[in-house]
Amino acid sequence: MPLARCAGAGAKQISSDAAGMMAEHTIALVSFILTLMVFSYVLGDLPLIGVLYRVAVYIFVGMAAAFTLVVSYEGLILPYLQDIQNTETSWTALGNSADIYIFFTALLFGLLLLLKPVRSLAWLTNSVYAVVIVVGAAVAVVGALSGTLFPLLHHTVSIPANLVADFGALLDALIIFVGVMTALFYFHYQVRATGAAGGGQSRLARGFRHAGKVFIVTALGAIYASTLLTSLTILSERISFLFQFGVA
Amino acid sequence: MGRGGLSVFVAFIVGAIAIVSLLLGDNPALFGAGAGSEELARRLTLPGDVLLRLVVIVIALSVVIGIVNLLYVHIGRLARGKFYSAVLLASFAVTIAWTVLNKGDASLLEAVQVPIESALAALLFPSLALGGARVMQKRADVWGLLFVAVVLIVLLGSLPLAELAPVQAFSDWLMAVPVNAGARAILLGIALGAAVAGVRALLGQDRAYRG
Repeated sequence: MPLARCAGAGAKQISSDAAGMMAEHTIALVSFILTLMVFSYVLGDLPLIGVLYRVAVYIFVGMAAAFTLVVSYEGLILPYLQDIQNTETSWTALGNSADIYIFFTALLFGLLLLLKPVRSLAWLTNSVYAVVIVVGAAVAVVGALSGTLFPLLHHTVSIPANLVADFGALLDALIIFVGVMTALFYFHYQVRATGAAGGGQSRLARGFRHAGKVFIVTALGAIYASTLLTSLTILSERISFLFQFGVA
Repeated sequence: MGRGGLSVFVAFIVGAIAIVSLLLGDNPALFGAGAGSEELARRLTLPGDVLLRLVVIVIALSVVIGIVNLLYVHIGRLARGKFYSAVLLASFAVTIAWTVLNKGDASLLEAVQVPIESALAALLFPSLALGGARVMQKRADVWGLLFVAVVLIVLLGSLPLAELAPVQAFSDWLMAVPVNAGARAILLGIALGAAVAGVRALLGQDRAYRG
């Protein structure tokens, strides 16, 4: 009996392994076909071949929309619905009853968004947009000030700890400071009036702007090179996948 | 005040409450060491919390409305015999059905979404390289030369060859100092722009919500 049981378990294991292998092969085959369909873009807008790229892109858009819908529902709307039904949880210090009001106000706002095509009620929809946009703007302002502006300015003007011992660090800190200031000056367009002929910039200002441009062009060149490297890495991975699939 | 002015009024009031709450709330140190400072900071946090929750749910609902609108548009196009809309609707339906029937199974994501995304990202390489070469052909000045020089140094610096050790060291310094300075300035410019655009929206100057 134990032998028969072992044989049964072994057969089950083999069949589950076979199913797993089958699923893996199917995934690889579908990936292979879709990768070739996207790469057909390189061949241009030829009859029949041009259709393949577009089909792949439309599949991608449909699938991305479906996944976004699922994530919005399962990740946001459903947990919030469960939260308002649970009296022990609360989003704010106001308690669970306030959560119910917030949720249904948001639902009402969502319904008001649907009134956009009705011209006479557009002011209601615009008021909902106003709430969403200004709260987003407030978050953006606070985020820009506390997340980027203050920390970056602090790092730019702060003096390295080992400054006296390391002359190189001092020079680097100085170059970064000058680079940031001149690059910011490059963004700032200020014209000095010079007589009736119109405006012009002082030599010092032009020098500052040129120095700033050097740093901006250097940064853009490095960003471009990094993007090239990233896309090249992905391209080589895709090509090696196509070859591996062909060999297997 | 007309109906059009209502959205500006709502924007100003809600914006003022949100920014005061987000800037001052949850920070008792701003209100001194008194006994009531913590309570005041907590109370100031409350309107911001409520508004953020409200807006997050509205944004989730508007994403759903956007997707429903996408489907509505493509159903209309399908009625006019557009083949690609049929592909989009079929892929949407299959994905929804798969997600409902196979909870937690990422096979469809691995088989379709990831390969298409990575193949599209891979197509970026020839497009970027060709685009960069064309720009250099049209603008062969000192700034173009500097740009090409930096690109070459960074690309050569990324090669794992012992002979290129000095180039790698120079590339590392380039990334740590001048590129760092330029990138910081660009980020500061973006942050200043975002702050100014945000303040304009808060003051009702932009009026993107007037329709």
